[in-house]
Amino acid sequence: MIEVRNISKQVSTTEGTLRILDGINVSVGDGETIAIIGPSGSGKSTLLGILAGLDLPSSGTVALNGKDITAMDEEGRAAVRAKDVGFVFQSFHLLPGLTALENVALPLELKGDSKAMETAHYYLERVGLDHRTTHYPRQLSGGEQQRVAVARAFACRPTILFADEPTGNLDTGTGEIINDLLFDLNREEGTTLVLVTHEMNLATRCNRTLQLQAGRQVEATTENTQEMVP
Amino acid sequence: MLSLKMLLRTWRGGELGLILWALVLAVAVVTSVSLLAERIELALTNESSSFLASDLVVQSSKVTNPDWLLEAKNKKVATAQMLSFSSMVFKGEDMHLASIKAVEPSYPLRGFIKRSTSAFTSDLSLIEEVDYGPPQGEVWVNARLLPLLNIQLGDEIELGDTSLRVSQILVEEPDSGGSYSFFGARVLMSYADIPSAGIIQPGSRVTYRYLMAAGAGAEDQFDEYVAWLKPQLDIHDRLITPDQAQASIADTMDKGRRFLLLAGSIGVVLAGIALALASHHFASGQTKQVALLKSWGISAHRVRSMYFQQSIWMGLGGSLVGLAVGFLFHLLLLFIVREWLPIELPAAGIRPWITGLATGLLCLAGFTLPALWHLPAQSPLAVLRQDVVVKPLNSLVRVIFGVGAIAGLLLWYSNNLYLSLAILAGFGLTAFFSILVGLFLLRLGKQYGQRLGSIWRLALANLWRRKVQSLIQMVGFSGAIALLMIMVVVRTSLIDEWRFQLAEDAPNHFLVNVASYELDGVKQLVNDQELDTSGWYSMVRGRMTAINGILITEAQKDSHESFRRELNLSWTAELPEGNKVTQGEWWDSSAVRNLATTEDPEGQIIAPLSIEDELAGELGLTVGDRLTFSVGGLTFEAQVTSARSLNWDNMTPNFYFLFPEGLLEDYPRTSMTSLYIPPQKKLLVNDLLRHYPTVQVIELDKIIERIRTIVSQVTRGLEVMTLLILGCGVLVMFSAVSLSMSERLQESAILRTLGSSRRVILGIQLIEFTALGVMAGLLASAGAELSVAMLQRFMFDLPFSMHPWLWYAGPSMGGLLVGSLGVGYSRKAVIQPPLEVLRSL
Repeated sequence: MIEVRNISKQVSTTEGTLRILDGINVSVGDGETIAIIGPSGSGKSTLLGILAGLDLPSSGTVALNGKDITAMDEEGRAAVRAKDVGFVFQSFHLLPGLTALENVALPLELKGDSKAMETAHYYLERVGLDHRTTHYPRQLSGGEQQRVAVARAFACRPTILFADEPTGNLDTGTGEIINDLLFDLNREEGTTLVLVTHEMNLATRCNRTLQLQAGRQVEATTENTQEMVP
Repeated sequence: MLSLKMLLRTWRGGELGLILWALVLAVAVVTSVSLLAERIELALTNESSSFLASDLVVQSSKVTNPDWLLEAKNKKVATAQMLSFSSMVFKGEDMHLASIKAVEPSYPLRGFIKRSTSAFTSDLSLIEEVDYGPPQGEVWVNARLLPLLNIQLGDEIELGDTSLRVSQILVEEPDSGGSYSFFGARVLMSYADIPSAGIIQPGSRVTYRYLMAAGAGAEDQFDEYVAWLKPQLDIHDRLITPDQAQASIADTMDKGRRFLLLAGSIGVVLAGIALALASHHFASGQTKQVALLKSWGISAHRVRSMYFQQSIWMGLGGSLVGLAVGFLFHLLLLFIVREWLPIELPAAGIRPWITGLATGLLCLAGFTLPALWHLPAQSPLAVLRQDVVVKPLNSLVRVIFGVGAIAGLLLWYSNNLYLSLAILAGFGLTAFFSILVGLFLLRLGKQYGQRLGSIWRLALANLWRRKVQSLIQMVGFSGAIALLMIMVVVRTSLIDEWRFQLAEDAPNHFLVNVASYELDGVKQLVNDQELDTSGWYSMVRGRMTAINGILITEAQKDSHESFRRELNLSWTAELPEGNKVTQGEWWDSSAVRNLATTEDPEGQIIAPLSIEDELAGELGLTVGDRLTFSVGGLTFEAQVTSARSLNWDNMTPNFYFLFPEGLLEDYPRTSMTSLYIPPQKKLLVNDLLRHYPTVQVIELDKIIERIRTIVSQVTRGLEVMTLLILGCGVLVMFSAVSLSMSERLQESAILRTLGSSRRVILGIQLIEFTALGVMAGLLASAGAELSVAMLQRFMFDLPFSMHPWLWYAGPSMGGLLVGSLGVGYSRKAVIQPPLEVLRSL
């Protein structure tokens, strides 16, 4: 689970200090799905980066599965990411020189998984791309590339999956397919999902929504109104 | 092994291509040049040995010490004794003052004697090569002795008290070039016949030569033997090494070797630049991957270790392929020059391979590792935000690494500080000025571009906008162009210098000792044959009798033949072409008149004298010494005013002792000249000698033929090396062009999407790259001119000259090459649909 306590992020610019995030509090339970929404520049991606341990807040704490990652050094956060975290990105981030299968297998290989290829094959099959395993990213459509990225993210069996605008580069139809895939796999694997999106219909599929406005938390709602965070 | 797997995948994805090419090329260039240089070097050493007919010679006025022979036997050193002198040979009424050479059966120890049973033949099938001398009772003679004595093969001739049968025509001896002392027809006889001939008496003017060569596989023992022998030599003995035996080609060979070295070094630098650019390009492509790896929780330490391992694999793989390519390339070079290689080349040792491998690893350490150094520090946040970019290692640090690697390589490779410094300084200055002047030119282009058409404006503004990249590219281009021009200039000036040696009609005979009353007749004979001489030079024969007023001692006479024989003294107003004053000053014509009339206290005229510098060293003479000469019973004094080095390459008469005009003309004088006698007119020599028996003919045709062979071989080698280095240069340019390509393609694709025509897009690229190339070429011209000046001065001993062509060749070559490479590369932007281009980036 994710525990966020009063985090803020500010950066120094030539025109003074810029506050990107201010006093964010949120708690996400195991297996929950949460959407972070807000207009451009509201701090969504910064928050996602901090939650995933890719960046540090200026103040406040973030705990992933009970471990305070803000108190750790980069090596410690890397270890947490390696164990618990998975990503799906807007621009897919597939390595162009690797086939679909190799792209999925790479993080497993880096973890020393001796069955990396089998696992990768299994997840490609689950995203419906078992017939494209030897294809390179450039030979795949945008939707197919994102399916490979989804397979890669789930193949590592993360407990928490962070998705940054996963359908932002795709047309509506393809985006829907990716969304279905993401939520289906998430449900089946029991993963906690944190999603940054512009799309309200995608946000409404999540258990809860965290809305940001100029770095501040406007309101936290859930579709099922399970929890309110002031 | 995961790092190897990842490397192979990266290679398959095409991202490693440029780095690997640069690495393979660097190693291949260095390996092929080293292999070639070492094998040719070994072959030349062997060839030089054949010039001496052995590995080492002791020349002496006394018979070889029997202890030396005994010790040689113990050390398995091959030996041969040789004796040479002039003596009359007779057949009935006919006689000739022949150059006799008596040899033991083991002669020659290196090389072969060419003999034939047909006189004056050049038909190779009639010429036989043997590695032994004539048996007892027989002689092998120059073909021209037959008409001189009116004899046939099989006839007997008389020498001293014995008769010897002429059994073979002597076509060529390996060591014929070594001795100019004997001018008569050669008679080669057995050493065993000397006692029965009874012609060697105490006081006879004979020269003993003791020939030595290492036994097969016993080189170390040979070295031990030489070390043992050296302390036992006295003033009568002179040690002759292969280099001394072939002074006329030693210089050519030396310059050839230096050129190979220069070419190889330039190859190393070019490949280094290519590797640096390719590494930079590769590293910028890896930042996304590293961010991704780190987002997955791969630690910075592990990322560093992965890239380090990959670099090692890459270095080993690239170097091994480079070694193989280098080996194949050197075979190709050998194949190209096979006709010029008279001998089988010995196999190379281990050094070229080590040099090649070291080049690969050092290049990688100097260029690739620093370029990748910052990657582990890449923030994983870059997967979310494009503006998070890790700063590469400080450029100054990278430059220090790169220059350090290049300097290390250059020094290790060339073992020559001057060469390394000249190349580094040339390149460093070019780089420095490229940045300064480049910025100025880019700015100028941008401003001037405002007044030109829209394509020009856009293109020149683009160059300014990308000024850091443009400057890096400019340094790369100008470096490559400068180095290529250096190669071409040095190659051209060397070949120009050697042209004389390569000329078909270079003089191959000297006519010496032509008395004044014979001169017109000899000239007529030469004219009748329609032959040209290099001009007639007068000389007077005289002995040196005292130095600084002290008479020449017997010990001095024993120590050097110049103290005991007559010397050739000549005169001239101007310093002869190819001569260089190394000590003192050359007289100028006006001063000579004063000098010539300078009188010592006893009222005697003291003549100024210029002496050849090596001889001066051997005789212990320096500027200021006063020498007394005796010419035909008359004595005169001279003072050494300068020492000169001579040019032995040009086959024109050279004089050890030169006086100003107006001093020696009244003494009995003889004349000499050099001329080219083609093989079909060779019998002129006989006509000359029959009509003018006192004229001496020095025949150099055989040795010149060998020199020409070797020089043309070296020249061809230079051509091939130049081509190889040009290949390196193009690779550098390719790397530099690819540096900015993804950004350019992206921009072009966007312009294309916005509806720009193919003409506009290619036009922009053409102007950008051509402008970049022209600017780089201009800078390269300046860098090349400077480096060439340094190299000519310090390395090749060539006169300084400006090269105006560099100043237009540089910019035009730069514009053309860079422009066409850039446009060729950019064509993708207009051929493929824009979306496909954008997706592939």
